[in-house]
Amino acid sequence: MAGLTRTAGAFAVTPHKISVCILLQLYAPSAQMSLPFPFSSISQHNRLGFYLLSLTKSCDDIFEPKLEDLINQLREVGEDMDAWLTDHLTNRFSSLTSPDDLLNFFNDMRGILGSLDSGAAQDDQIILDPNSNLGMFVRRCILAFNLLSFEGVCHLFTSIEVYCREAHSSSAQYDESNDNLESLIQHDQMDMEKYIMDKATEEIELQKNASGRVPFHLHTPEALFKVTEGLLVTRKEKSRTNTKKAEATQLACASSSTVDDTLVDESLFLRTNYQIQGFLMEQADAIETHGSSLSSSSIESFLQKLQNLAPELHRVHFLRYLNKLHSDDYFAALENLLRYFDYSAGTEGFDLVLPSTGCSMYGRYEIALLCLGMMHFRFGHPNLALEVLTEAVRVSQQHSNDTCLAYTLAAMSNLLSEMGIASTTSVLGSSYSPVTSTASLLSVQQRVYILLKESLRRADTLKLRRLVASNHLAMAKFELMHVQRPLLSFGPKASVRHKTCPVSVCKEIRLGAHLLSDFSAESSTMTIDGSLSSVWLKDLQKPWGQPVFSQESGSRKSSTFFQFCDHLVSIPGSVSQIIGASYLLRATSWELYGSAPMARMNTLVYAALFGDSSSSSDAELAYLKLIQHLALYKGYKDAFAALKIAEEKFLTVSKSKILLLKLQLLHEHALHRKPAKLIHLPALCDHLVYCLKFIHSNFVKSISGNLKLAQRMCNELGGLASTTMGVDMELKVEASLREARTLLAAKQYSQAANVAHSLFCTCHKFNLQIEKASVLLLLAEIHKKSGNAVLGLPYALASISFCQSFNLDLLKASATLTLAELWLGLGSNHAKRALDLLHGAFPMILGHGGLELRARAYIFEANCYLSDPSFSVSTDSDTVLDSLRQASEELQALEYHELAAEAFYLMAMVYDKVGQLEEREEAATLFKMHITALENPQDEEPNMA
Amino acid sequence: MEGERSSDLLDLQKSQGRGITEFSSIFFCPTPFNLSRAAASSAMVSKESCRNEIRAAIGQLSERCLHSAAKWAGEQLVGIEQDPSNFTPSNTRFQRGSSSIRRRFSTNESISTPQPSVGFSQAATPLPEEDDVIDGDLYHLAKSYFNCREYRRASHVLRDQMSKKSVFLRCYSLYLAGEKRKEEEMIELEGSLGKSDAINRELVSLERELSALKRIGAIDSFGLYLYGVVLKEKGNETLARASLVESVNSYPWNWNAWSELQSLCTSIEILNSLNLSNHWMKEFFLASAYQELRMHTESLAKYEYLQGIFSFSNYIQAQTAKAQYSLREFDQVEIMFEDLLRNDPYRVEDMDLYSNVLYAKEACAALSYLAHKVFLTDKYRPESCCIIGNYYSLKGQHEKAVMYFRRALKLNKKYLSAWTLMGHEYVEMKNTPAAIDAYRRAVDINPCDYRAWYGLGQAYEMMGMPFYALHYFRKSIFFLPNDSRLWIAMAKCYQTEQIYMLEEAIKCYKRAVSCTDTEGIALNQLAKLHQKLGRDEEAAVYFEKDVERMDSEGLEGPNMLEALVFLATHFKTHKKFEEAEVYCTRILDYSGPEKEKAKSLLRGIRMEKTGFPSMDMEHFPL
Repeated sequence: MAGLTRTAGAFAVTPHKISVCILLQLYAPSAQMSLPFPFSSISQHNRLGFYLLSLTKSCDDIFEPKLEDLINQLREVGEDMDAWLTDHLTNRFSSLTSPDDLLNFFNDMRGILGSLDSGAAQDDQIILDPNSNLGMFVRRCILAFNLLSFEGVCHLFTSIEVYCREAHSSSAQYDESNDNLESLIQHDQMDMEKYIMDKATEEIELQKNASGRVPFHLHTPEALFKVTEGLLVTRKEKSRTNTKKAEATQLACASSSTVDDTLVDESLFLRTNYQIQGFLMEQADAIETHGSSLSSSSIESFLQKLQNLAPELHRVHFLRYLNKLHSDDYFAALENLLRYFDYSAGTEGFDLVLPSTGCSMYGRYEIALLCLGMMHFRFGHPNLALEVLTEAVRVSQQHSNDTCLAYTLAAMSNLLSEMGIASTTSVLGSSYSPVTSTASLLSVQQRVYILLKESLRRADTLKLRRLVASNHLAMAKFELMHVQRPLLSFGPKASVRHKTCPVSVCKEIRLGAHLLSDFSAESSTMTIDGSLSSVWLKDLQKPWGQPVFSQESGSRKSSTFFQFCDHLVSIPGSVSQIIGASYLLRATSWELYGSAPMARMNTLVYAALFGDSSSSSDAELAYLKLIQHLALYKGYKDAFAALKIAEEKFLTVSKSKILLLKLQLLHEHALHRKPAKLIHLPALCDHLVYCLKFIHSNFVKSISGNLKLAQRMCNELGGLASTTMGVDMELKVEASLREARTLLAAKQYSQAANVAHSLFCTCHKFNLQIEKASVLLLLAEIHKKSGNAVLGLPYALASISFCQSFNLDLLKASATLTLAELWLGLGSNHAKRALDLLHGAFPMILGHGGLELRARAYIFEANCYLSDPSFSVSTDSDTVLDSLRQASEELQALEYHELAAEAFYLMAMVYDKVGQLEEREEAATLFKMHITALENPQDEEPNMA
Repeated sequence: MEGERSSDLLDLQKSQGRGITEFSSIFFCPTPFNLSRAAASSAMVSKESCRNEIRAAIGQLSERCLHSAAKWAGEQLVGIEQDPSNFTPSNTRFQRGSSSIRRRFSTNESISTPQPSVGFSQAATPLPEEDDVIDGDLYHLAKSYFNCREYRRASHVLRDQMSKKSVFLRCYSLYLAGEKRKEEEMIELEGSLGKSDAINRELVSLERELSALKRIGAIDSFGLYLYGVVLKEKGNETLARASLVESVNSYPWNWNAWSELQSLCTSIEILNSLNLSNHWMKEFFLASAYQELRMHTESLAKYEYLQGIFSFSNYIQAQTAKAQYSLREFDQVEIMFEDLLRNDPYRVEDMDLYSNVLYAKEACAALSYLAHKVFLTDKYRPESCCIIGNYYSLKGQHEKAVMYFRRALKLNKKYLSAWTLMGHEYVEMKNTPAAIDAYRRAVDINPCDYRAWYGLGQAYEMMGMPFYALHYFRKSIFFLPNDSRLWIAMAKCYQTEQIYMLEEAIKCYKRAVSCTDTEGIALNQLAKLHQKLGRDEEAAVYFEKDVERMDSEGLEGPNMLEALVFLATHFKTHKKFEEAEVYCTRILDYSGPEKEKAKSLLRGIRMEKTGFPSMDMEHFPL
């Protein structure tokens, strides 16, 4: 009852196992039984053997197929003798009319096992080796039956009745489907099977030699069975290839097919504790991967049933907590979390608890605190989260649970870094001793750094590979975003040089990726056991032949392939998730350092390889990056099209970043398309700012594109973002950056400059060095646009120096462009200098810059040439025209009418000078077109808002 | 159904002859005004009619093998004051001294003056017996099978009988057979994970049959009761409630139906939404429902009213004791239980409550006496085990206590108080995870059990997780917001050095004070907290209040001294010399270093008052 130790459930006899036994009897008839031997060929016999082997494997799964399913599978295995097989099966069942028959049946089963020492078997008799997989299965069944009390036998008997009754009710309809079977796999079937047979025996032999006995969970020949399964299942799958859906639904089907049944106790058989734990773990992964797109109610009803079956299985509460967490039900999540830990004391089902440390008298409530802290974090209560995590630190120190401490520190640093600013000095100072002495002196970033280091150190000594890897990633993220400084500098400030170090970022990412090679050290046997066995069942349902035979789309195929590999080496989902995250981080770092193709490539790698196993928020981020890339390099039309797809996929996910992206895109688009109607833009911008604030200050649960709601709410909530606590600084910075840009586009220079100034101050205050660089650039732009080039120059130069020390190459290139523009603004005598600057930055701009940047550079180049007094248009017109043509093409894709008009204007002028009247006219009309488009923007709204 | 009921009523009136007015006033009283009138009239008149009603009902109930309902009715029948018509010596012996308390509390006239309604002794059966003769023999056989607990056999005997009574008994025995099998299966199927999907397999067919019968109207109130029970088991609570309401409206004497109904009333809203006809049985129902909903004063009022008729009912006395226990009137409860045991020495029901009282009063001998007695009466009752557990707990033998609580839980898995008590034992044994598990089970059985929530909070606090514990304290306070102990526990949690949220602690203590904190911790703590935060004005206010409280309760001690010292210095620094002097002189009553301090304070005061140097003071006679 209230005890803490619970033994694993035993191997129980079920009707399904009895059917397997019956089939085994057919496969290896004992000498006494004079059954007709209907196998026409050895291969047919082997085929049945393989099928049985895979059945015995999947017998350890949580779900058992019904008789009906079994008969269907038999149909495909048995080919021409399927009728005989099924007949025999059903007859055998119907001959079990009393408990005594069951007793006799199991007595007979003994006969098919060869005894270990008797060598005097008849030649043609097939004898199961008692140590083989099948033999072990039979022995276990017999043993389990013998252990049953009479009541147990009675219960088994009634469940057999139900098992048969269900099959009878629905078996009639399948008879006609037999006729139109295609003999797709007739060819080279024999060879294939022989090959498999050899391989399998080889494998089994190998296993035997290796371990001295055949383990029941024989993992290695799994791949082979998949191939067999592939052969077996194709015919059936042919008919339903097109009905296949995404992974999520497949999984949902797997569980809901049983859920939908009204009689649970017949379709759901409880298995060993380990199997259930493994299954639940898998479900937990699924919940995380699919987020709230997975129907929470179906999981809920499934969990309800599981709980009815096994009230002492407290892991169910944890699953329910996860489910509620992802469907944003705070109270239910909290309730279930607490319940789980109250019941299990944190000792059930957590594989991070090493058995050697043992569960003491005290339970493991520090894990409860850790989970609670993460939950509060997710629901947007950073203060509460911090309090709870602090308590977790204390309790894990008290119970000297270093593992938990390492995780808690990591969670804490994550919290701090996400939260940005926090008044955490008191909390940290009072509780965490290593930091106490210095806490008050440190900024949040430095504290994050210390926490990370501490966590990393512990994880390293404890050999928690996953944590080490994710800590490395966190560290890389930190190094990427924050300027490294000596932690405690007592000397004069001037000696401290601010800079980022791409090398260390790279190093951290690489260290993180080491995980893949040595993940096996940590992954506990339970995880693998459990998840693999349910893979077995899925294999029975899944078309494994597809990669070979189908003509599916490429992307699907690749993911299936990877899934295949995934199962082959059985990488735990969490590991591949971390690896995936490292790719995303790589993409981000390349983005910052200014290599667009590298960023895109890494994102694509992520989306292609890890998309299936990633959590929904990571996948969303990848989509976001790709769409941003599209907008920058392919224009808005493509980006919006992609956005549509992404929206469908992710808008159901709460707190969707996609919405944010949409707002950003709309804003950019509006800035480009209609500067003439800028009167409306500040409104839009305000709207955007408010929305940003709104989203973050309130962690809107189900905003799901409902902008109207946001608009209505934003007035009330506008003030909320002003408190610095718990607000995402990045978002705030982004919002005001956009505000300034809008004002700039509306030609309200002084306001724009004001906003930018205050933004710069904010950045400085909160130590956001990288943002500073772009704000400086913006200030330079503002002064350039306002015609005050002299004022703009220092800003541009400062920006460049910032970029240089932080290795922001692309930003530096665009700052250089601005600098050149400012020089030219000082007068045409500076054209030469400007051109030199531009040419210096050209490789970077052309290689990695977005459409806008490139077009700007081209036009500017032309401008330079034209204003250079030493340059003669008539002789060198092609240099100018080439770049103008390039620019105009790119601008059209962007729908950036203002710049496009400028390009065409210049073009027309040059043509005029050169005397090519026809081309001049053409350019002039295009110019006119863009001007009109600029002045009266059509209603080609992207209808996104 | 309305028609049917009124036809029943007609029969009733016919057979009663003269009792028309009384009954109509009981059955049809649409307004509260009428209700009070009806209540008054029933108090006046119906002592006799009640008796007759119950007498008839007992016959009908036991005829249908509703034994526990018959038992209940029998208890109430005897609980009515002695019938003067058959006043026999044996009866008087039975009732003599039955309630010294009662005699003390109850009004004189209700006992001594004979009722004017002697003529109502003829009042007939509540429901006419039907078709006794037709299937009488088979019915008798079935009944005896039933009484021998051979339920399936009983239902088989009645398989072709169509009378309502036979149908009821058949269904009822089928239901019980299913329940019995279910219990057995539960043990047979018990796996490592506590598999408990055993269900009563008769429910489906029973529901089908009963609903069919109901549709054609061939169902009596007993059938409706059974239907309600079946529906409740199937999880269809609203329908079950409707069916039970219908049943008790047409036949109110079946206490089983009422208690089923009561278990379905989980909130006051549900209770108020029930459309119940007025009858004195309804009062019993309401009283017990109020008690379950923790509305103890309302419940007490009801019981008091009922005691006017059922002056000697052990049941009412026990229930009153229960309510008083919840109001923590332990002395009174003890007297009541002693009384109860005198009248009914072999009673086991509710005795666990008595043991709790004895435990709280640390009456070892009495508790062991009680434990011995119930042990001899029936050792396999969860109550008995619980009492023995309590005894061992009081003796400090926690392992044994746990063993007995475990046994109690084996006998009844949903025995709430055993879970909670077991949690307490584990806390004593410092096995917090086990304690938490036990408390959590109690909470999952009844989420309103504030004791278990409190226990959870305490356990977590013990483990040094005060922040985590706060949630549980909050929960417990939610269910019992007027208990100062809970508020103080929460405040202490806030006060721990790990959290150290003193403002919140102050708020909690304030609530505790407003809930009349009997132990007087809150005021003292409030004062100290304010002192700690440097708010001397507030601190002085609370110290003064605390002194006042201690004065009124005649308490002395270090707290008093501390308060006095603070107040004296405080008033002195604020130049309120009169007050300061008062407190200083009070301190002089104590010995120790404070006395010297008081003296020097006094000196200082006089000096400041008069401007004389202190040396001169010594020469003045005090």
